[in-house]
Amino acid sequence: MTLLVLQHVSKAYGGVPALRGVTLTVSPGEIHALMGENGAGKSTLIKILAGVVAPDSATIRMDGAPVVIDSPRVAHRLGLRFIHQELNVVPTLSVAENILLSQPVPRRLGLFVDWAKLNRLAGEALKTLGITHIDPRAPLAALSLGDQMLVKISSALVSEPGAPARLYVMDEPTAALTREESERLFRVLNEIRRAGNSVLYVSHRLDEVMTLCDRATVLRDGVAIDSGKLADITHNDLVSMMIGRKVQDAYPAPARPAESRELFAAIDLSGPGVGPITLAVKAGEVLGIAGLSGMGQTALLRMILGDTRAKGDMRLDGQPWRPRGPADAWQGGVAYVPAERRSEGLVLSRPIYENITLPHLSRQSRSGLLLLRGLERALSQKLGDGVRLKANTVNQRAVELSGGNQQKVVFAKALNGTPKLLLLNEPTRGVDVGAKFDIYQIIRTMTAKGLGVILVSSDLPELIGMADRIAIMRSGEVKDVVAAQGLGEEALLNLCYGRDAAKVA
Amino acid sequence: MLKFVLRFGTLIGFAIILVVFTIALPESFLTARNWLNISQQLSMLTVVAAGMTVVMVMGDFDLSVGSMATLAGVVAALLFTLGQPIEVAVGAALLIGLLGGIFNGIMVSVFGILPFVATLATLTMFSGAAFIVSGGKTISGRAIPEAFGAFARTGVDIGGFIVPNLTIVAALVLVVTWVLLEQTPFGRRLYAIGGNIEAAHLSGVRVRRLKIAAFALTGLSAAGAGLLYASRVASANPTQGSGLMLNAIAAVFLGMTMSRQGEPRLLGTLMGVLILGVLDNGLTQMSVDSYVRQVLVGGIILIAVALGSISKTRRR
Ligand SMILES: Nc1ncnc2c1ncn2[C@@H]1O[C@H](COP(=O)(O)OP(=O)(O)OP(=O)(O)O)[C@@H](O)[C@H]1O
Ligand SMILES: [Mg+2]
Repeated sequence: MTLLVLQHVSKAYGGVPALRGVTLTVSPGEIHALMGENGAGKSTLIKILAGVVAPDSATIRMDGAPVVIDSPRVAHRLGLRFIHQELNVVPTLSVAENILLSQPVPRRLGLFVDWAKLNRLAGEALKTLGITHIDPRAPLAALSLGDQMLVKISSALVSEPGAPARLYVMDEPTAALTREESERLFRVLNEIRRAGNSVLYVSHRLDEVMTLCDRATVLRDGVAIDSGKLADITHNDLVSMMIGRKVQDAYPAPARPAESRELFAAIDLSGPGVGPITLAVKAGEVLGIAGLSGMGQTALLRMILGDTRAKGDMRLDGQPWRPRGPADAWQGGVAYVPAERRSEGLVLSRPIYENITLPHLSRQSRSGLLLLRGLERALSQKLGDGVRLKANTVNQRAVELSGGNQQKVVFAKALNGTPKLLLLNEPTRGVDVGAKFDIYQIIRTMTAKGLGVILVSSDLPELIGMADRIAIMRSGEVKDVVAAQGLGEEALLNLCYGRDAAKVA
Repeated sequence: MLKFVLRFGTLIGFAIILVVFTIALPESFLTARNWLNISQQLSMLTVVAAGMTVVMVMGDFDLSVGSMATLAGVVAALLFTLGQPIEVAVGAALLIGLLGGIFNGIMVSVFGILPFVATLATLTMFSGAAFIVSGGKTISGRAIPEAFGAFARTGVDIGGFIVPNLTIVAALVLVVTWVLLEQTPFGRRLYAIGGNIEAAHLSGVRVRRLKIAAFALTGLSAAGAGLLYASRVASANPTQGSGLMLNAIAAVFLGMTMSRQGEPRLLGTLMGVLILGVLDNGLTQMSVDSYVRQVLVGGIILIAVALGSISKTRRR
């Protein structure tokens, strides 16, 4: 008996097909991966199942019986629980209220909200994921993206007597989680499987999928391919099913070693809650920044960007570097890829090309006075192609792109205007394997010409594979700087925790 | 079909209004004279609404435009009574609009006060200032130079029609604002701020400066409208701009229902202004009581905006 059968699922956006007769089955007690390149239609399929997007055609059966899901409420009643790629949280409500949003509010005397109970229930929900560092009373807006994701996951895991959960659908839940948080999530997912319930799981982290999931459905060119048992195939088989071409699945080596010329330096840099930090980046070098989440990595980047006032000295290209704001920074050749593409990276309601040219509009217009849309479009097309941006045209609004393609727009924007120093904060979050390595290749090509990169990432293999040296941040300070070459993941993780501070390069 | 009605509801509604008036007022409605008249009546609102669109593109709005229009008119009139020439009086009034707008912009962007609160406060301030300057009385008569009043009463002969000067000024303001919003980096950045202020800031948009500039333009346009009005009635009194603010905001909202993304666009605003003006013109000619007129106009705005938001929240 299968739990869920989806058949003949088709959906086109404005005449462009996203799904063409897709079939997907999920058995009870199974963790089923849904794979595919950026823009393959994974989130669209999930939103159809959730009753958020209306399909052009679809047949859905649960436990063999046909069902029609035309609203999120129906999906919920059928026992489906969703964690969508775009977090649907209410930032002005507290953590507890967000966790119990779909539940009746606990009340005293049937009238007053029982806040103590609400917070206690929320605290328990968080504990199922082993989370103790999030205060249920905190406003959600104060949380990092990763923590918001954890809140959302906890909320989906809260059991409800009325409509018991049968299938959890998670669209890239680990994209913003640290390794430890992900592992705690996997333990919970394994328990769900053991209890006979199922999970439909989307991720671009193949290792994760290979160890966690039983089977996979791969979407490519709008049609579905059944992978069979994942235990029977290799990592590379899965990649070629997704991409249909051989992908270089290794971090490209630098074309030449970093120059000895210092490109950027920060001396005793400090700001609210961070510092003092002293570090230097050579021309052509990738300086990785590792650390547990919230150790001041973002604050460091934002000081260099001039967004937060900083004490101390900075130098770029031999000149004092004192940007009074991001506008100065972009003009001076510093580009920034923020960690949260939707809230910090993109003007979602505007076209792709407007996003890409926003930082350098003065130069990319006629004397800064009249727009040159043709030039903007051509430029955006070129930069977009470089990162394998999948969009109908560069006139498409950013909101219409798939998550990974939105991330590519943010990266393309940073490449605009030939920067000297790239500040990258989780630059490949949500990007598929193929495009990821194109992005790495671009970084290599640009560093060969003398670009410097500061790369903040929670993806440890990415740091080790791409960085020349890695600075480890703990409690707002750079505690160690180590050479990336030959560094193991465990060793790096230990450094992040401060368990082993021996190796100093 | 339903989709179509929801999407183009406002335009369809406008067409229906036109048809109804054409049938109900066969003699007078569809005449060049009536439309030139409408265009002149609407010139003040057009100018204010264009300025309002500039700040609403950023997601802000300005409640003080009406009292700024009043203040500008009164200041010009006062300078006339002091024997100042037209250029000085007009220049001073426009300068006050610019400064008042900059003040609004600083309150909103530097001090971070919500536009609603900040411009509500300046609404009161400008209005009070207008009373102080005018001594609470209407300034009219011989103090107002002949040429100032004549400007509104005359026009330019274009193809046999005398197009009123006020209409021409409003058209020029529209063109300039359209170019600014749609064809310059300035406008592009305002739309970026309206879409996502944080992302715009991190992408190197100088949000603070632009907000101040945008509010300055709105203030300037309000002062300009005040001058047009003063010229039209050849006088200035401390309450004359009172209806402008609500109508300008209503016009922009009506326009927003016509753009696909629900963003303020200048051409949409123009349509909004026309709808309001044509309704007023037609209903007046049909001698509908002015209070009934208010109820009707308010209801039509609500329906249009409601239809627009329904069409945007439906399942895709
Ligand atoms: N609202 C929309 N309007 C137009 N096109 C859309 C819209 N939403 C999605 N699409 C298109 O549908 C296709 C599938 O998008 P979807 O978000 O399902 O991809 P995905 O597989 O989830 O990718 P990712 O791994 O990047 O999250 C994309 O080409 C996207 O551009
Ligand atoms: Mg997706």
